Amino acid sequence: MSGNETISIEKSTDDAVENGLSRLTPQRVSHVINQVLHQETGARFKAYVDTCMRCGLCSDACSYFLSNDRDPSFSPAAKVKQTIWEMLAKKGKVSKDFLRRAVHIAHLECNVCRRCSMYCPFGIDIAYMMLLVRRICHKLEITPQYIQDTVNSHSVTMNQMWVKEDEWIDTLQWQEEDGREEFEDLRIPLDKQGVDIMYSVIAPEPKFQAGLIYQAAVIMHAAGMNWTMPASPGWDNSNMAMFTGDNEISGRIARTFFESAARLNVKRIVMGECGHAFRSTYDVGNRALSWAMPPFEVVHAIEFYHELLTAGRISIKKKFTKRVTLHDPCNVSRGRGLHNMARKIVNMTCSNFTEMTPNKEHNLCCGAGGGVVNCGPPYKKERMVNNRVKAEQLAATGAEVLIAPCHNCHSGLEDIIHHYKLNMEVKFLGDILFETMEKKIYRPEE
Amino acid sequence: MEKKQSWDWNTDLKEIPVGEWKARFNWVEELNISPDGENIASVVNVDEAAFKICVNGHVGDTEYEKIWSLKSLPDNGFAAFVCADEEWTLIVNGQEWSSWFDFIWDLHITPDGKHMGFAFQKEGEYGMAIDGLPWNRVYSNMAGMTLSNTGTSAAVVQVVPMKAADVDGFKQGLFSVAVNGNTFHNTFLNIWDISFDRAGQNLAAGIRLDREAYTIVKNDVIWDRKFQGVWKPIFSNSGNVLAPVRDAGKWKLFMDNEPFWKKGYDQLWKITPSPANNDVATIVANHFGKWSVAVNDKVWKMTCDTMISDILYSDNGSCLVAVLKDKGLWNLAVNQTPWNLSADKVFTPCISPDGYLVAVVVEKKGKFHLVVNNKIIAGNYDLMTTPVFSPDQSKILIKGVEKGVYKRRVISI
Repeated sequence: MSGNETISIEKSTDDAVENGLSRLTPQRVSHVINQVLHQETGARFKAYVDTCMRCGLCSDACSYFLSNDRDPSFSPAAKVKQTIWEMLAKKGKVSKDFLRRAVHIAHLECNVCRRCSMYCPFGIDIAYMMLLVRRICHKLEITPQYIQDTVNSHSVTMNQMWVKEDEWIDTLQWQEEDGREEFEDLRIPLDKQGVDIMYSVIAPEPKFQAGLIYQAAVIMHAAGMNWTMPASPGWDNSNMAMFTGDNEISGRIARTFFESAARLNVKRIVMGECGHAFRSTYDVGNRALSWAMPPFEVVHAIEFYHELLTAGRISIKKKFTKRVTLHDPCNVSRGRGLHNMARKIVNMTCSNFTEMTPNKEHNLCCGAGGGVVNCGPPYKKERMVNNRVKAEQLAATGAEVLIAPCHNCHSGLEDIIHHYKLNMEVKFLGDILFETMEKKIYRPEE
Repeated sequence: MEKKQSWDWNTDLKEIPVGEWKARFNWVEELNISPDGENIASVVNVDEAAFKICVNGHVGDTEYEKIWSLKSLPDNGFAAFVCADEEWTLIVNGQEWSSWFDFIWDLHITPDGKHMGFAFQKEGEYGMAIDGLPWNRVYSNMAGMTLSNTGTSAAVVQVVPMKAADVDGFKQGLFSVAVNGNTFHNTFLNIWDISFDRAGQNLAAGIRLDREAYTIVKNDVIWDRKFQGVWKPIFSNSGNVLAPVRDAGKWKLFMDNEPFWKKGYDQLWKITPSPANNDVATIVANHFGKWSVAVNDKVWKMTCDTMISDILYSDNGSCLVAVLKDKGLWNLAVNQTPWNLSADKVFTPCISPDGYLVAVVVEKKGKFHLVVNNKIIAGNYDLMTTPVFSPDQSKILIKGVEKGVYKRRVISI
């Protein structure tokens, strides 16, 4: 795992970026940049621009900086210098080469993980600055191809993977049938009004990982929960538009999601193991619509599993014995503080737990989050190089199994493990719970 | 009204023991109650991959591999999607439609029950089937299915193919509106929220023209003005198109391409025209996180911090009810005055035609209660559905389940 790989790495691009750049005029570029920076920002932006002392303390927080042998161009402050400050200094009159680099920095060299904000003496939210750059790229139509396709899918289907409405329902019915191998009367209730819980997932689950829905159904059934899943759009809690700066589509996604819960008259929303989706529904999407807080209680899977285990609704038959370690997803640990709860679940279900270091709110990002993995195959190689420190961190644990309670983290960590030949298996907390739980139905009187 | 007059408003109590169904079948799914309260039905499992519909304790002879989306009908019967030999159709009061499909979903029923329709997929192509007849044209992709009160159907359909992840192709606009299966001439980047007028002869929808430009289309004619965002347009009683649009950073109400209200709001949606006059109500956030109702651009004095999920007028327009959530608890506000329900859930309110009476089912700590004009008049049910006022408004029909017994109760108010 030497740093030599960083020297030869090329900055990739793709057709969407290049075609978009070819369509731009200098007038369009300066108009959009000035419009975003001066009409869509306020005191927060001005404070961040004026306050940064260029001290560089943010550098050591960044996995890109650390993975690239402390190359100063990867320092968070340098990313702002190479994008926002230059745009401001030149009053938006920047070149296409500059924009190509800005696209790359904002989408491929920052996971908006917000680790740097903890290291900044002033707490400057550099992720917000990178998301502003992405907003500019969105308006200039130079967003990388694959993540833009997910946003296009969201805009048409309200899910990120072009899952058609019949495919969604058919998948749930198929998983329900399979689940009857565990419990013969198991159901995935569709559109059941007035229940306590709307369970929501991200689109990759019905598309590629339907077994996770099966597992969730078994857990819900065993725990005796009164739950449902929507049979119409609004079931996908992910929000790629949040990452491309398409705030309008982002808001539409969030509205559809929460109005599903309102239509079904549920008490709360439980969501699967996804970090960015949690941030979207708990922080960003709701606020884009003037909901200061989510209009329904949003419960991440970590909180939900903890609740089921501590309430005795799920009991553990036999603990998982392989040596495990735990990755803390940025959005639910740094963003929400669920890291201690996640450890309690690991300790309740596993007998051999090793911490990785650093951990909890200081954990290093998986390298996939913030939409980076969604930019797709053209950028995979540099994504591997750019998170060498994560591979080193994982290797040091000696664990056989890596638990990652987030879909993006899962994808990114799978790639890193494969690339660096770490011989680890990645699991969700739900995988562990499903494997270790008693497959019996909770009875309060027992 | 005529129908309601023929209902039994004189028998105080009728009971059906639904709890015992659990002993008769492997499992019993959601209970569904007819508008007149005389019928209660559920999908029941009778064997491995064998389902029937149980109505008032009776099941027919026909079994299906799957049944879902059981719904009560305005004629007090039931409809559901059924699957046999891996093909799907709709059954209405036990009668199968003649057309079968690879999959069907999204059942629509007009308020008078005269028309029914759903979305279908057959051999990978999509359309709607209305009153037993599938569209003549089918499409590679479909969303936003809508049925007018008079049985006109419409949906957003993909009319231009797109290769995987072809973002430049997407930019050209792949989608159009199909009305009864036939598409508009125009194609758009996105189309959302198809809305019909009362006669089902005109439709409007929100559209996106490019990455940033949103506007409204009415019958394939695009508004001249472009906006930063739009929500669902609605036809006024006089046939004008009203739409919430985001303009210069604020949400505003426009009508037929022109400003209709003067104020801009932090949020504005769910346009609700009064059925009796020209009043127009919307849900608004006057300031960030402060939700209220605006009527003719005047904001109610009441605000709530969490959500307003719906607003409803009485038939005569005198009463406007908001379903709201404040400080985490559900409540109603009637003509600007909040009630004191403090409920875990509030269901769809029922408003008397003259606006004097408002009834609503609420759930508190797992038990259902009926509230009329802010007072609980019946409670501790395990399940309860929307009540109905008698035509003379002297009585209310309660439909609920208590200790395993379905109770159709008529009480004086």
